Amino acid sequence: MTLLRRSASLIGMVAIIVFFSVMKPATFPTLGNWLNISQQVSMLLVVSVAMTVVMAMGDFDLSVGAMASLAGVVAAVMFKAGFGMVPALGTALVVGVAAGVANGMLVSLAGILPFIATLATMTVLSGAAFIVSDGRTISGADIPAAFGDFARSGIAIGQDGTRVLRIPSLTIVALAVTAALWLVMEQTSYGRRLYAIGGNAEAARLAGVRVVALRLSAFVFTGAGAAIAGLMYASRVASANPIQGDGLMLTAIAAVFLGQSLTESGQPRVLATLAGVVVLGALDNGLTQMRVDSYVRQVLVGLIILLAVGASALARRRGRAG
Amino acid sequence: MHRLLLSTAATLTLALPAFAQDVAVITPYLAQPGTQFYVDAFSERADALGWDVNVVDTAGDVAAVISRIEDAVTQGVDAIVINVDPAQVGAGLQVAADAGIPVVGMDAGSDPLLAVNVTSDGVEMAAETANFVIDAIGGAGNVVMFTFDPFPPVQIRGAEADRIFAEHDGITVIDRITPDVSDGGIADSRAQMEAVLAANPDAGSINAVWAAWDQPALGALQAIEAAGREGEGIVITGIDANPQARDEVAKGGNFKATVAQDFAGIGAAAADAVATLLDGGSFDSDAIFVPTVLITADNAAE
Repeated sequence: MTLLRRSASLIGMVAIIVFFSVMKPATFPTLGNWLNISQQVSMLLVVSVAMTVVMAMGDFDLSVGAMASLAGVVAAVMFKAGFGMVPALGTALVVGVAAGVANGMLVSLAGILPFIATLATMTVLSGAAFIVSDGRTISGADIPAAFGDFARSGIAIGQDGTRVLRIPSLTIVALAVTAALWLVMEQTSYGRRLYAIGGNAEAARLAGVRVVALRLSAFVFTGAGAAIAGLMYASRVASANPIQGDGLMLTAIAAVFLGQSLTESGQPRVLATLAGVVVLGALDNGLTQMRVDSYVRQVLVGLIILLAVGASALARRRGRAG
Repeated sequence: MHRLLLSTAATLTLALPAFAQDVAVITPYLAQPGTQFYVDAFSERADALGWDVNVVDTAGDVAAVISRIEDAVTQGVDAIVINVDPAQVGAGLQVAADAGIPVVGMDAGSDPLLAVNVTSDGVEMAAETANFVIDAIGGAGNVVMFTFDPFPPVQIRGAEADRIFAEHDGITVIDRITPDVSDGGIADSRAQMEAVLAANPDAGSINAVWAAWDQPALGALQAIEAAGREGEGIVITGIDANPQARDEVAKGGNFKATVAQDFAGIGAAAADAVATLLDGGSFDSDAIFVPTVLITADNAAE
């Protein structure tokens, strides 16, 4: 039954890719387009795999979008004040880590529900982003050219007609973060313990897992991941405004859920999340290429998430009953 | 799941007639009233020209504008129209430029990667209201200016008004105020104007208020009315013709004039610019200015 549930979701995801490939054979299933998609989803991928870490424990972090926005404006404001790349990006990352520690403390030490704790920090971080940026978009000459150029750069791998094919730098960053978190979650006892907490926190505690410390530490991943994604976003648009990363949060949670429908145990897994992100990115790209109205596109994406997660939930229930 | 998806796919296929894609209009700001006027007028003109227009709204997400420009390039559209600061979507503009697809700005700002930007002339709007003020007060008197130099599009308005007032010997600028705009600009402008009124208590000591946009003009109006000095004939002008400003101008009180940007005209002119490019034409300058309309009590209700 599990096999059926997993394969149903997998078949659905593959069907989406096949569908676009059949509808737009000349432009969708090309290497150039997939490199494109990889770049378009790079920021979402970083936030989503980081979100996977806390969701493995059954927690959430609603503050990631606001954190991404804040990281972007922190770096931009420091650029504007004349700081170089290293201190500006470093400070933004430190802010991300600090926000993660704060979230972790609220959830694990104070025992506030993650939904409420991170909703509150989301509001605080969002307000901080407005304060830091003075509510404005920081762009143009204030942003060093090298920062914006990073998102336009990549490793050349070939030629498609007149166009040079590159693996975009943002894609490389995203894959590096994904690989690192895959190692942490799948190949270390730390990761195993997080899944143990997600399975049954009380049992994990009785088995000697330091639940409080581990929960605290896990939120550092989402804080830092969100900060990295925010910097990637700022590089891509060569500017920063106090709301630009906000939309990442819900989409990231959706990607983790979508990925979850693929996994054996119904748990969030890093590679499954990667699949979820790819499907969401392919949907955006493919539906745009098919000229589907952007609002209709949004409805369709929502329905497809429901379909995948719903099918998996149904199959699981039937599996349990049978 | 499989069958469901296939039937969704089939429905999608049926729902989408096989159009040849021509022009993509990409904006993060479709929900804003001005943008809707541009896009509607653009689409109308595009329909008349027989194009297929795909309007993409990224709901405030600027990075998604880059992604959708890339998708449009992949799709091989003939032209792209954007309504967003081009400096922020340079990565996408570069992809379009590499593919040889022209991009037109619809009130977007000038950029070397844009074929042309269609917009209103901020300098012209400022000149129109500054000259209106000079005429209305008989070429001589004391003027209070509200400007905002940190924002480039407004800064050029203030600079043009500075130039025009300086050319007229009878005009004295008694104060040049930069209001705090974090609350929208009305409240602080009112407070600042109250201070100016207190400092110039005699009737006739202030003849006009020139504001670089409507909010400070509305704030100044509130201050003048609250001080009971609306009978002194102080002339107020703004720029942008927002609905509140139009209402005040229509009332025939101190707020005498504002300038309306022709949003629909910008949309139509952007379509014409695309038509020129599709015909192989090009533009000498990086901007096309669409004429603006001076709004006074005569035409405010229109």
